[in-house]
Amino acid sequence: MTNHWIDLKNSDVILIMGANPAENHPISFRWVMAAKDRGATVIHVDPRFTRTSTQADIYASLRSGTDIAFLGGLIKFILDNDLYQKEYVVEYTNASYLVHSDYTFDAGIFSGFQSDKATYDKSTWWYQMGEDGIQLMDRTLQDANCVFQLMRQHYARYDLETVSNITGTPVADLRRVYEAVASTGRPDRVATIMYAMGWTQHTHGAQNIRAATIIQSLLGNMGMAGGGINALRGESNVQGSTDHGLLFHLLPGYLAAPRAKFQALADYIDANTPKCSDPLSANWWQNFGKYAVSLLKWLYGDHATADNEFGYGWLPKLADGGNYSWLTYWPTMRSGKIKGFIAWGQNPAVSSTHANGVRQALEHLEWMVTVNLWDTETSSFWQRPGVDPATIQTEVFMLPCAASVEKEGSITNSGRWAQWRYTAAEAPGEAMSDGWIINQIMRRLRQLYAAAPGPNADPILNLAWEYGEGEIDTHQVARQINGWATSDVKDKDGNVIVAGGKQVKNFTQLQADGSTACACWIYSGSYNEEGNMMARRDPVDTHPQGLGLCSNWAWAWPLNRRIIYNRASVTMRGEPIDPARALIRWNAAEKKWEGDVPDGGWPPGERLPFIMRRGGRARLMGPSMADGPFPEHYEPWESPVFNPLHPQETNPALWDLEKDAKGATHAFPLVGTTYRVSEHWQTGAMTRNLPWLAEMQPEMFVEISPQLAAERGIANGEQVLVESARGAIEAVALVTPRFQPFDIGGQIVHEVGMPYHWGYTGLVKGGSANELTPPVGDANTMIPETKAFLCNVRKLPGGNGRKEV
Amino acid sequence: MSNAMLIDLTRCIGCRGCQAACKQWHDLPAESTRNLGSYQNPPKTSGKTWTLISFDEITVDGQLDWVFAKRQCMHCQHPACASACTVGALHKTADGPVAYDAAKCIGCRYCQYACPYDIPAYEWDQTLGLIGKCDFCVDRQAAGLEPACVKACPTEALVFGKRSDLLAEARRRLARTPHNYVQHIYGEHEAGGASMLYLSSVPFASLGFPTLAAEPATAYTELIMRQTPGIALGVAAGASAVYWIIRRRQMMQEQAAAPATVTTAESAEEVQS
Ligand code: SF4
Ligand code: SF4
Ligand code: SF4
Repeated sequence: MTNHWIDLKNSDVILIMGANPAENHPISFRWVMAAKDRGATVIHVDPRFTRTSTQADIYASLRSGTDIAFLGGLIKFILDNDLYQKEYVVEYTNASYLVHSDYTFDAGIFSGFQSDKATYDKSTWWYQMGEDGIQLMDRTLQDANCVFQLMRQHYARYDLETVSNITGTPVADLRRVYEAVASTGRPDRVATIMYAMGWTQHTHGAQNIRAATIIQSLLGNMGMAGGGINALRGESNVQGSTDHGLLFHLLPGYLAAPRAKFQALADYIDANTPKCSDPLSANWWQNFGKYAVSLLKWLYGDHATADNEFGYGWLPKLADGGNYSWLTYWPTMRSGKIKGFIAWGQNPAVSSTHANGVRQALEHLEWMVTVNLWDTETSSFWQRPGVDPATIQTEVFMLPCAASVEKEGSITNSGRWAQWRYTAAEAPGEAMSDGWIINQIMRRLRQLYAAAPGPNADPILNLAWEYGEGEIDTHQVARQINGWATSDVKDKDGNVIVAGGKQVKNFTQLQADGSTACACWIYSGSYNEEGNMMARRDPVDTHPQGLGLCSNWAWAWPLNRRIIYNRASVTMRGEPIDPARALIRWNAAEKKWEGDVPDGGWPPGERLPFIMRRGGRARLMGPSMADGPFPEHYEPWESPVFNPLHPQETNPALWDLEKDAKGATHAFPLVGTTYRVSEHWQTGAMTRNLPWLAEMQPEMFVEISPQLAAERGIANGEQVLVESARGAIEAVALVTPRFQPFDIGGQIVHEVGMPYHWGYTGLVKGGSANELTPPVGDANTMIPETKAFLCNVRKLPGGNGRKEV
Repeated sequence: MSNAMLIDLTRCIGCRGCQAACKQWHDLPAESTRNLGSYQNPPKTSGKTWTLISFDEITVDGQLDWVFAKRQCMHCQHPACASACTVGALHKTADGPVAYDAAKCIGCRYCQYACPYDIPAYEWDQTLGLIGKCDFCVDRQAAGLEPACVKACPTEALVFGKRSDLLAEARRRLARTPHNYVQHIYGEHEAGGASMLYLSSVPFASLGFPTLAAEPATAYTELIMRQTPGIALGVAAGASAVYWIIRRRQMMQEQAAAPATVTTAESAEEVQS
């Protein structure tokens, strides 16, 4: 989230799209309701009328996978009707930048496409640079090559009728949504966007979010209280795990993981340090080296010295061009290259797209360790239905672990708040904390390497791993995450600013010379000499206008900033754009900012607000994207209709490693989508084992429209077969008018939806929706496209399937 | 002044936090269920399920709505169940709850027949007593706590307070955003009034709430019960008394029945098939 949960109450318009928060983030609705009580308009755009839709002032349906068409139409609507905030757009976005004269978009393909590699050479998407190293601009926004005009031209095709023919949304509904959202393109109104996996899990998922960026930037809603783009994270601590380097291409704190071509630390730092000569740009990533060296000092302690590049050589490097994302594991495992697998707190046999491929891949392992609360479908893959355990040689170790409430530590919510929590109950039986388990693994690895050092012993033996023998002290880890001075840190004049051994105040004190160590720079400030800031529990709203900042409750990264890019809530002259929602305000007398922690303390006008962007401005055009600088509508990898915009049906840069897993429309004519219900959690391991929740949603079901049910002769409550090119599962047909067929340019398209919580272990069992979903991923993130695929639903062969009740 | 609960269906998101919290607080067992073509589960309140959310797909003026309604004992001001009870196992407390004393209950099930809301449920294997129903969290109230379901509700669809205050709050909501509601506080007068007060955007009859006159159902049950003293009641007499009560309940419903202005999804389906 750019903003945070409580801040939802400050919105005038709440666009919920690609999300179902009433069901999946019910607590968020405390704040959505608070906004409604203030008179806010709530909009829900979704293929299915859900529990969220019941609270929406406007509900608009759309066919899964067509969000960019929907949002592209909104961009056009804003531009055509002059509903954007001009000063904001000129000052705070790259609208005025002049783009390379060779940039083109033709027949669905942007300039620079390399068809042999299915990737783009992005050089023509970048800006024209002046001799002073600053991009050329036309602040009148008239130049045909400026971002603003290119954007206008790009979305000129997205008129209401065209959009409606793609999305299936009635034109009148499109207009209502567009008018409501665009009504916030003025200083005294603000809209927020709530999204979740309904936007990300597409072959163009990252571009869905980019489209939101364009809209919120045009309307001047970024950095504002009640505004922003708010990702509703699907796991309670997924924000924290992403922050701390969960993804293959990132080290903690969103530092790019080193690639093989950067064998020297200086090259790695140089390649990741953006340069900008514009004095108005803070270009915050210019500090990359400080954070990278401090991370190395934490990893390797006294072994990290200037002479050995702080141990940079010991860090594993990604092969140049190598991709190690989720989708690549399973074909690689099936090829026998991966011998062992630790499934820690996860259940890919249910959670992963193309789950049958995953289950088969696990059979190729020599060993697997599962760390979980329960026996899951993953730990029991070898005894799953239809499989003879005698044919599977994988040795499976199950380590029972403590649940989150059975151990102390921090958890980071979607709003970037790190909150401390305590042990509420002791873990049962032999269940141990994750920290204890990883400590034992690491200690034994080191003993083995010390006894017989192999070629890669150094990274293991030189790691600073000083956590004792049993439990890891979470306070010690939290202090390391904050960072400390390994020796005296001095300023230019030689004055000591942090004495050796003391905690740094925050990341502004981190150094690139090895005098500081820090495990995750964005959390620096969370546990300093003032104590554990994450454990603060003062619920008082600190904002004079009652904006719900609650700045003394827990701690938000970075620097306890509750709304990021908040300098965009004031003009370059320092005036709050909306005085009634003055998130920050410059106190000229005392020469300091009041309100939220600003994005840098410079006086008004000295720096541009988007400090994490090289040039300091939000990007309407995003030249660093893998699949185009403007979001463009492409059909999902599997789709029953043709793309009416151009002959390029699907995203040309998408990730399809397993092309033969694709289904054809004649066999699978229905659009399928997957989701979650309030009553179950992810793969159901925690909830299908809890009787009170299992009784509420006991069986796998598929929701289908009455029209489709009538066509197929399916009755409500009947057991049916759902099939795709990847698998077939049984489910209870839930016939409901909450799904309606789509009119796609005269073609009737039916969509069906399924929760993905079921599997073959637990108290209540059922087919896994992910047996049907495809192994294809987004061009930028490689996230699988589980939200739009082709399937079919039919009566169970041999029998009317009517349930005995 | 007695306690009450305001249940504003227009704020309910159907998350069922209340339903789970009730079971958790009272340590009630789960039931073995099937998906019968609806999210609603268990299908009915029982001695094991004291509260549940009903899910109704309703079309009003051609507009689809999906309405979630928390169901439980209404904690009537003049509870028919209590007056039907020959041994005093059920009684209305001054604080609001209609409390149940398992030690006194003989399992005759008169309360079950008497209740106009079909709430008391007989449980053969119930460890908490032979009859099970929402107890309005008497134990929590005694400790100065709000009921478990109210505590769990994220959207303030459930509000706990004094009945007079909640009636005033309900009227305020009806006046402030009249377009959001049908102008009816269900439970204010029904069968003499109840501690559970409801607001809704659709007519209560369309959700299957019984349409009841303002007269307490107890006036009649008390009469009949007085004529049939204690546990000496013969089987035949008991049966006829029960028949009389049921008949009376039907009559009251018929008297008060208003024409329904909406079609439910089920009936729409019937029309189609
Ligand atoms: S709803 Fe039924 S059980 Fe509850 S108090 Fe009223 S009559 Fe008694
Ligand atoms: S008041 Fe108590 S007993 Fe009644 S439904 Fe709520 S939690 Fe259950
Ligand atoms: S907890 Fe509140 S919002 Fe959720 S179902 Fe119960 S009454 Fe409705």
